[in-house]
Amino acid sequence: MTEAGNTSRAVLVEPDLDFIRTLGSRIGPEFKKCMQCGTCAATCSLSPESASFPRKEVIWSAWGWKDRLVRDPDIWLCYQCNDCSTRCPRGAHPGDILAAVRQESIIHFARPRLLARWVNDIRYVPLLLAIPTVLLLLLLRVRDPLAAALGLGPGTGERIVYAYSSHFPHWLLNGFFLACAALVLLGAVLSARRFWRALKTYLEQDMGARKVQGVWPSLGAALKNAVRHDNFAVCSTAHIRYVSHPFFFFGFFSLSAVTLWVITSGINPLIRGEFIYPFAFWSPWKILANLGGLAVVAGCVLTIRERLFGTAYNTAGNYYDWALLITLILVALTGFLTEIWHYFRMEPHRHIAYFAHLVFVFALIVYMPYAKFAHVVYRTTALVLAECYGRKRGTPPVAADAARRALIIGETPGTPPGGERP
Amino acid sequence: MSTQDKFGRYKTFVLVALPIVVILAPLGYSLYEFVFAREAPTDAPFLEYPADVEGGCVRDTEYMRFHHWELLREVRDESVRDGVRGGITLSGCRDCHVSRDRFCNRCHEAVSLQPDCFGCHYYPSDAESGDGGGAHGAEEVSTAWTGGTS
Repeated sequence: MTEAGNTSRAVLVEPDLDFIRTLGSRIGPEFKKCMQCGTCAATCSLSPESASFPRKEVIWSAWGWKDRLVRDPDIWLCYQCNDCSTRCPRGAHPGDILAAVRQESIIHFARPRLLARWVNDIRYVPLLLAIPTVLLLLLLRVRDPLAAALGLGPGTGERIVYAYSSHFPHWLLNGFFLACAALVLLGAVLSARRFWRALKTYLEQDMGARKVQGVWPSLGAALKNAVRHDNFAVCSTAHIRYVSHPFFFFGFFSLSAVTLWVITSGINPLIRGEFIYPFAFWSPWKILANLGGLAVVAGCVLTIRERLFGTAYNTAGNYYDWALLITLILVALTGFLTEIWHYFRMEPHRHIAYFAHLVFVFALIVYMPYAKFAHVVYRTTALVLAECYGRKRGTPPVAADAARRALIIGETPGTPPGGERP
Repeated sequence: MSTQDKFGRYKTFVLVALPIVVILAPLGYSLYEFVFAREAPTDAPFLEYPADVEGGCVRDTEYMRFHHWELLREVRDESVRDGVRGGITLSGCRDCHVSRDRFCNRCHEAVSLQPDCFGCHYYPSDAESGDGGGAHGAEEVSTAWTGGTS
């Protein structure tokens, strides 16, 4: 677990100047102000006791050591609660540095990388929005010839009262979005495989770590951590995310469950007779979908409020943070707008809202896996490997801090964060 | 800067049990419906079509299924704004589709739509017209979740 074995080995650092410039453009030039005092690593509630982060990552960033940083699992153990940034005596924003490095890591492992570059560059937003718009308009043009070629009648069945099927029939949307999702999933699997291997090499060769646990128990532990939001619970500065992230997390699961139910309706043996869609307002599936949508909106509102008016972040965030946030809230809002205009029979408003909804859904499932949404794969992978190689968080530093202050200035220590934790 | 766990001892309930129950509830409902459905779907058609009427409908079935509201809106605008009367009328619809409950309302209820046509236009439901129902009666459609009564 220690780096002792490697300290005698001289390593030639080849600075990647573009990488330094990229980090500078995202964080500001202050990121090189670090004097390696180690306050950040000492204050971090998530950092392991040996080779702790973010101190080492901050100096590697200033050196432009991209090659090492992108395959460092520690950048994914950081949840950017900014406990470090608020205490940094030099104002170097370690939390923001790690976030920027994570973004570079995503771009580095992404396949195709060109798409990742576009998605992570604000100048490409018009192009990126034009792609799904044109594709969906094309779908509308080829709908009838395609239906004729496939032998599909315009009607989808006696009981389907699918009010949108006059424009986008179910089979067309399912086919299009499933094809897109399959391609993205393929890219994600390839990226995750490369990421897994790179991290493993880093842990075993650069860090000299040894496996302490098998992959499956590690996966179980990592998933348990993710669902219970244990790592969010110990962050103190951006503690609001302990509430907002569960909203995103479970809202997204709810919406995914309903989507799965709808797109598999054709082969679902539980559905007797034919499938009625859209759901009625009080259908249990519709209730779950509405709750999921509201949860996503609530998560967005809490996060945006914290970013704009809160004290947890040094800046209001950059394009990397806002792209996912804005995509999520646009998906949720256009979805609710479609629903509301549907109930109020606003024609053609609901079709326009639905079209916009589909464009943003495309952005969410095709583009966002190349941006901040990729954390679903990368952070989980890194958490699994961290469990595998026993990179667990050490003694809660705030607890140690409180005990020390009690010793020095006679202050009574309160309940430390995660004090009861082993 | 207290970082005491917000959810305290309810953490497992709030972050694990509750979401699992909420997310699985509709599946549970669908399973329940599947296993204990009051009765298997009958042969009664979802929409009761009239016996063959000479001349058929004013438009073909697919058009009527997905665009009848647009047609009715056009007709309304023509008659109210331009004074063109005597073409397609709602009472003309009623000549063939005698039951609002077994035709119009089936779809409207299934998707929670409450069109305001019938607030003014005479198109009585089975209860209002005193008609006990035709061959298929006014039985409930068990699988259709109705968004309230019409």
